[in-house]
Amino acid sequence: MTDTVQQALSLMAIALPAMFAVILLFMGATALLHKTFPAKEE
Amino acid sequence: MDELLVGIVNLSWKHVAMWVVAGILIYLAIRHDYEPLLLLPIGFGAILTNIPFSSAVGHEGFLTRLLEFGIYSELFPVLIFIAIGAMCDFSPLIRRPIAMLFGAAAQFGIFATIVIAAMLGFNLKQAAAIGIIGAADGPTTIYVATRFAQDMLGPLSVAAYSYMALVPIIQPPVIKLLTSKEERLIRMEYEEQEPVSKTALVLFPIMITLIAGIIAPISVALIGSLMFGNLIKVSGVVERLSNSAQNELANLVTLLLGITIGSTMSAEKFLIVEVGIVLGLGLVAFIFDTAGGVLFAKAVNLVVKKKINPMIGACGISAFPMSGRVVAKMALAEDPTNFIIMHAIGVNVAGQICSVVAGGVVLALVK
Repeated sequence: MTDTVQQALSLMAIALPAMFAVILLFMGATALLHKTFPAKEE
Repeated sequence: MDELLVGIVNLSWKHVAMWVVAGILIYLAIRHDYEPLLLLPIGFGAILTNIPFSSAVGHEGFLTRLLEFGIYSELFPVLIFIAIGAMCDFSPLIRRPIAMLFGAAAQFGIFATIVIAAMLGFNLKQAAAIGIIGAADGPTTIYVATRFAQDMLGPLSVAAYSYMALVPIIQPPVIKLLTSKEERLIRMEYEEQEPVSKTALVLFPIMITLIAGIIAPISVALIGSLMFGNLIKVSGVVERLSNSAQNELANLVTLLLGITIGSTMSAEKFLIVEVGIVLGLGLVAFIFDTAGGVLFAKAVNLVVKKKINPMIGACGISAFPMSGRVVAKMALAEDPTNFIIMHAIGVNVAGQICSVVAGGVVLALVK
């Protein structure tokens, strides 16, 4: 296995969980936002 | 006299081959309506650049100047993102943020393709630029290619926009292969469209920009411009700017972006084996993306009581609204009374944000 393939595999191993973590953060923040500012109150 | 014959004397079969390639792009755009806004200018730009001693390219050529000014500076992709942001409606996402998970899963193809490209001998930066075709997002592809693989800008852009246009052909067989008829028949409840407050709509783009920016500052140009475009739309106080972003800005930059990308498709850069491999890998990225989304949805079904139609996982790619429509149509083909378009479009909108996040993560991690 070449160095580049190893780097690509490491990238995948780090990037996928990192992306899901960011998305989970977005989800939580968005849910909180929707709950904090419901449409009815406007 | 020699001056008049310089074009004919220096014409080679490679130039003619590139005219054929350009002709195919123009044909697909006009005859089959495949991403005509981009493929038509790209095709014509390719013709302009493949005329011997063309004054459109080179040190003083207007296309080369546009390339330096608009693409290498990353200005055009960023302006396009502002326009896209102004066209986006994130209310389905604010209503059901869980759709973002499917969007994230459908970015799997990017990373799988990076590994495959590395196995085929591309260096990590080139592999990353190739993999990002799987974002199914033209501006993100161009943005990352500008940073990592400027020489491959032409083929990468052509691959991204061509495959986005081919979503109705690429996705259905992959979805069918990975799902059973019973799964494709799963009905999803039509929920009452809960309204989203204006405050939430206004705070959403600001909040996303801040979170993404703090985590990966390198992604600010991408996600920030997308969210800025959205903010001017949802604010409701700058309708003129919002309309300009959605129309004049989008049209003008698309026109310049397309013809400039076309100018990078010179025969010596395009008629090489690597370009064929890049185009093939772009297709692989789209297939893996679709598979990632569908398989993730199937995995979710193992743990939830209320089953979801796994086909909606495929809408997590950014090709909006094409992917959502394709999946909704597939559900209707299986059962004419099964309407899942609301769910499919929600996931498709999530894909737009997730593809930019994936682009930001790749930019942050690849050195």
